[in-house]
Amino acid sequence: MFLALREMRRAKVRFGLLIAAIGLLVFLILTQQALQDGLITSFVGAIERQSAPVLVYSVDGQRTLQGSVIPPDLERGIGEVDGVAEAGRLGQGTFTVNVGDDADSDAALIGFERQDLGGPDGLSAGRLPEADGEAVGSDTDFSVGDTVRVVGAGGGDGPELTVVGLAEDAQIQVSPTLFVRWPDYEAATSAANPDAGTVLPNAIGVRPEGGVSADQLVSRINDASEDADALTRSAAAVEAPGVAQVRQSFNIIFLLYGLVVPLVTGLFFLIITFQKAGALTLLRAIGARSGVLVRSLLVQVVLVIGGGIVVGTALFAPLSQARLGSLALRFDPTAVLAWAALLMVLGLASALVAARRVLAIDPIEATTGGGAR
Amino acid sequence: MKLALRELRRRPGRFVVATTILTLISLLLMFLGGLLDGLVGSSTGALRAQPVDAIVFSSTSQDSLVRSRIDGEVRAEVEDAAGDAEVGGLGSVQLGGRLDGRGPRDLVPVVLFGYELAPEGLPDEPPGEGEVYADDSLQAEGIEEGTTIRLGPERSEVTVIGFITDSRYSGQGTLWGSLDTWRQVLSANRPGQQVGDDVVQALVIRGGAAPEDLPATVDRATDGATSTLTVDGAIEALPGVSQQRSVFNQIIGVTVVIAIVVVALFFALLTVERTALYGVLKAVGAGSGTLFAGVVLQAVVVTLIASAIGVTAALVLDAVIPTGSLPFVALPARLVSNVAFLVVAAVVGCAFSLRRVLRIDPASAIGTSQ
Repeated sequence: MFLALREMRRAKVRFGLLIAAIGLLVFLILTQQALQDGLITSFVGAIERQSAPVLVYSVDGQRTLQGSVIPPDLERGIGEVDGVAEAGRLGQGTFTVNVGDDADSDAALIGFERQDLGGPDGLSAGRLPEADGEAVGSDTDFSVGDTVRVVGAGGGDGPELTVVGLAEDAQIQVSPTLFVRWPDYEAATSAANPDAGTVLPNAIGVRPEGGVSADQLVSRINDASEDADALTRSAAAVEAPGVAQVRQSFNIIFLLYGLVVPLVTGLFFLIITFQKAGALTLLRAIGARSGVLVRSLLVQVVLVIGGGIVVGTALFAPLSQARLGSLALRFDPTAVLAWAALLMVLGLASALVAARRVLAIDPIEATTGGGAR
Repeated sequence: MKLALRELRRRPGRFVVATTILTLISLLLMFLGGLLDGLVGSSTGALRAQPVDAIVFSSTSQDSLVRSRIDGEVRAEVEDAAGDAEVGGLGSVQLGGRLDGRGPRDLVPVVLFGYELAPEGLPDEPPGEGEVYADDSLQAEGIEEGTTIRLGPERSEVTVIGFITDSRYSGQGTLWGSLDTWRQVLSANRPGQQVGDDVVQALVIRGGAAPEDLPATVDRATDGATSTLTVDGAIEALPGVSQQRSVFNQIIGVTVVIAIVVVALFFALLTVERTALYGVLKAVGAGSGTLFAGVVLQAVVVTLIASAIGVTAALVLDAVIPTGSLPFVALPARLVSNVAFLVVAAVVGCAFSLRRVLRIDPASAIGTSQ
């Protein structure tokens, strides 16, 4: 311990550079983890937050709520499938809105016909809409009491909505999101495009009858119509276009950064061990046990990686409170601890080569000068 | 300098781990850059393909093509303001496309554009009703000249009569037809988005005098009913494009800083190891500049090897990734800039060793070695 700390104090620049490198890598890993989590939640959070256990898109929608359109005959067909207890319309569109006196901005509106089949499931504040003109907003974008006016075509007036409740992780398409009753959604769509014909639902939320599971109902609906694409709530979120690519891309990035940390650490301690081979041999010759020297090495590894994790986390903490456009980042202690543990294990594993080198030192070399070779 | 190169040749093992780490960093830079270019490229191709001076959206649309609506009255005002310039309508709709021989659930996601002024690479006149040009990325889906695609829930049929390059939009392949074809397909498949006969989503303006003043002139003429942007402005207004660019560039920047620190660390350690040797070399007349140049040369060579592996991996990745999976593209400009970043990082990193090289005293070094 004493030797390990003394050496680190005497070679501040070297150990400082290593801690800085690991700190930057940890910072990047944590930032990208937060970006990945934030992106996925902002893409499909509202799908997981809505209350219908099964969502039925049209096959043409390619599993995006806004891209799907349910024609009347398909809607009828879904309602008639054996095992469907209840069904309700869902619609989604992106609109230009004014929040209070602010300038125009974007917001996604999710219209639901039935509160329990597409409305928000669980609120972080306020209450559910009880009348037309009331909405539940994503809690990172709205406050209870906000007044939101949908801007119609040519600047005309669309419906005015009052935010009466907030839902956590309830964005869709990385946009501020409002859950509204179906008549408000229809009014918003018509205001934004006066040429619009009938406002058709984008999806149908369904609940299975007692004794029928959500998975069974999904199979029955998909068997009943080749134009219907039924998914459980969680599958609708996971299988939304883009989610898999986001995960895949970030996993490759994490793998590369995850490899750099142990390699840098392993290389550093290996070179240092080579450089002080003479001193280590001398220490062995005067009675220092190899276990003591290895422990000293591992203490340095733990201190360096621990220091890097502290530096990286300290850099990440203020950034995690920031927003990137509509994307809110978050400080997730579980992710920080998981990465810290993984990087510590990888770092210690990478130092095994240097430790092996220490264990291989023969004290007799001190008499021949071989230790310094 | 020769000594530095000879050491690289004779003791390559000494540089293997540093090369490996720099290779990983190089791979990271190439992957991050390729991902950024792929994401931006596949989202913006349709706009980049417009050989125009300005794109006109309705002012309440937040410059979103899907939400923008421009009627005949506003169009007339824009045409007056544009003077001699050509003005054409533009419309889009995202749909699933069905192809013969594929399962009923195996659809190709496409964006159908209706246009009046041809994008780059297409004949001046839009194709006839029901005919479209397809983005060449759709060839990977088996689409070829003469293929009939059935669009949307109403299976509106369009026939491919040719191809256009680099015109993807929203990450999807595009089809380019006349405004009439677009209106028919839109009305049939998206009744909630259908538009009147004289309505388009946007206008594009080409030619005419003083294109730099065009956006302001048009918006003044329509009394604020329009929001007119250059093509670059319209690209930046696409949701997520500027944020993606900024976030990725920051990540790339920090990764370059890490490369600097790694090079600094590694060559500082090597310099410490060679202190006695440098002392001898100085004693026999080698200057500090020469010794430092050797360190820089080694760092640059190691970095170039790592960069070459990174570039090769990026090109291989670009070639093997199937269309529609990872949005990755290896652009020459990006590869060159990444290599340049790494070389600069290597030189800057080596600068940390300069002070140590300068401080080596030949006399004491020789004394130590004795």
